[in-house]
Amino acid sequence: MSKAGRLTLVALAVVVVVAAFLIARPGDDEDGGERAATTGTPGQTDAPEETGGDAAPPPTATAPSAPDPPPDGPPATVIELTGNAVAEVVDVEVAKGDRVRLIVRSDAPDEIHVHGYDLSRDVGPGSPARFSFVADIEGIFEIESHEAEHQGQDALIARLVVEPS
Amino acid sequence: MTQVAHGIVGRSDLPIPEWLFGWAAAVVLVVSFVALAVLWPEPKLARARERALPALSRVVLSRPVELVGGAVGVFLLGLVLYAGFEGTETVTANFTPTFVYVAFWLGLVAVSILFGDVYRAVNPWRAIGRAVAWVARTAARTEMPAPMAYPERLGHWPAAAGIFLFATLELVVSNGDAPRTVAIAALVYSTVQFIGMALYGVEEWSERGDGFAVYFSLFARISPWTVKEGTVRLRPPLAGLVELEPRAGTVGLLAVMIGTVTFDGAAESALWTGIAPDLADAFQTVGLSPVRALELTFLIGLAATCGIVYGFYMLGVRGAQSVGGGFSADQLARAFVGSLVPIAFAYVAAHYMTLLLYQGQAIFILDWPPFGYLSSNPLGTADTDIFGTAGQAIDYGVISATAAWYWMVGFVVVGHVAALTVAHEKALTIYSDVKLAVRSQYWMLAVMVGFTSLALWLLSQANQ
Repeated sequence: MSKAGRLTLVALAVVVVVAAFLIARPGDDEDGGERAATTGTPGQTDAPEETGGDAAPPPTATAPSAPDPPPDGPPATVIELTGNAVAEVVDVEVAKGDRVRLIVRSDAPDEIHVHGYDLSRDVGPGSPARFSFVADIEGIFEIESHEAEHQGQDALIARLVVEPS
Repeated sequence: MTQVAHGIVGRSDLPIPEWLFGWAAAVVLVVSFVALAVLWPEPKLARARERALPALSRVVLSRPVELVGGAVGVFLLGLVLYAGFEGTETVTANFTPTFVYVAFWLGLVAVSILFGDVYRAVNPWRAIGRAVAWVARTAARTEMPAPMAYPERLGHWPAAAGIFLFATLELVVSNGDAPRTVAIAALVYSTVQFIGMALYGVEEWSERGDGFAVYFSLFARISPWTVKEGTVRLRPPLAGLVELEPRAGTVGLLAVMIGTVTFDGAAESALWTGIAPDLADAFQTVGLSPVRALELTFLIGLAATCGIVYGFYMLGVRGAQSVGGGFSADQLARAFVGSLVPIAFAYVAAHYMTLLLYQGQAIFILDWPPFGYLSSNPLGTADTDIFGTAGQAIDYGVISATAAWYWMVGFVVVGHVAALTVAHEKALTIYSDVKLAVRSQYWMLAVMVGFTSLALWLLSQANQ
């Protein structure tokens, strides 16, 4: 094959790939649905809520929700600590720009730390730690118990998963 | 399950979406077939001309620059030890873990790709070795040859062992990111380097046995820069990999380089988090403490992954051997090992890019003064703020998650193409018959598609 022929072939392949990519890439309008379809953890995606209001899809969580959600936003995710540990590490899934509400209850004094956002709150018996912030950084962030960390125990109590909006 | 190391990570990557995974895989296949279609019949990189740059050489290779480079390296090694032993035990507030695992281990890979073997100029152990040798030579007023010749059979094996142990510290040891642990490891590594240099000579050991020196110099071969006969030279990128002369253990070293990153990625996948607790439980029943049982589990996982990478490459080599040409499997494995370097780079780039971009800001920022909060307050004890930047936080806005996905996938695809290029060039130089060379490349292509698909799969499994 001549040099020009080879180069044409390469150029054609590149054009086809780029064009196909642009056509097949999920558009912004279906982004919410795409997110639910592709990255949802089995058993955690809540399809009706995802396709609902586009302003603020509520955080999906396996933890029991608070009985009285504040009137101005999605329900808070409640995390229960027993002896500075959780029964199961849950993912708190939100889209970028959403408000994250977390309530951490503990039967022992502790300090709860949200990595990346670098937020810390004290918690103790009868005085839950409350977090309310806008998820403006994409990525996965660990939520940890400082008390468990100091004792050399497994400190992870939940993960905050912020998907691109 | 207990988190192993990685205490310095504030943010982890989202897995790439399925549609991007599918697209990237398709692009890799298309690129591969295009590569087959355009396989050039004459070696190009191997015969490429090098351009000497005498003016640049006079500056870059001058004695003052050499002294400054060595001094910077020794100073940073000293700071790593000082902060590690004297600074706070809080992993994220101490200079040492982030500097070693992010700025040094990842940052120098990027520097090597862009600017060549810069590490050679700042390698603290080489600098100290050369200084000691100079003093000894001056005092004795005679040349001091190394007491022993470096054994051929040893080759790159000490380097492979060094990189494997470093990865063990990072990924297996439960408090491997504790400042004190990192400082102790640096002392141990220093001791081994000094013994190696004393026995075999400074340059001989640095080029073969010093794991970090060998690691960064391999990546530097991707770059267009090289130093030969005392001058800086420019050549086409990747040309350095075609002329790489492998030693014993070079294939093992590459298997370790790819295997350790693979394991770091795979350890986040559902596959590993399904197996690991069972294995750890089994070790606990034979009397290991929970932490030791988990460490042993991860060590086995790390070693097994390196073994699988080695085995997969050798499988492709056996295939290439079957097309004829009269080469032994070992000869072919060494001949094509250069093509694994771009793959190793793609793995590192895809897996650690965001860690370097985000956590690297703790050490270095694109502002003035260019020092992150850990450089300003290396001990983390809050009574020092050398550059007035100790209060700064990491800017997570430097790249969006979506843009990061495209970059990661881009690195993997470009690494794939580079690997194919190097393997094909090498085939043209070793086979006398072009037909045999091309047929051997069907096998190498299969190997590369395998490694690249694995890299994409790891990206899709990240932090699940």
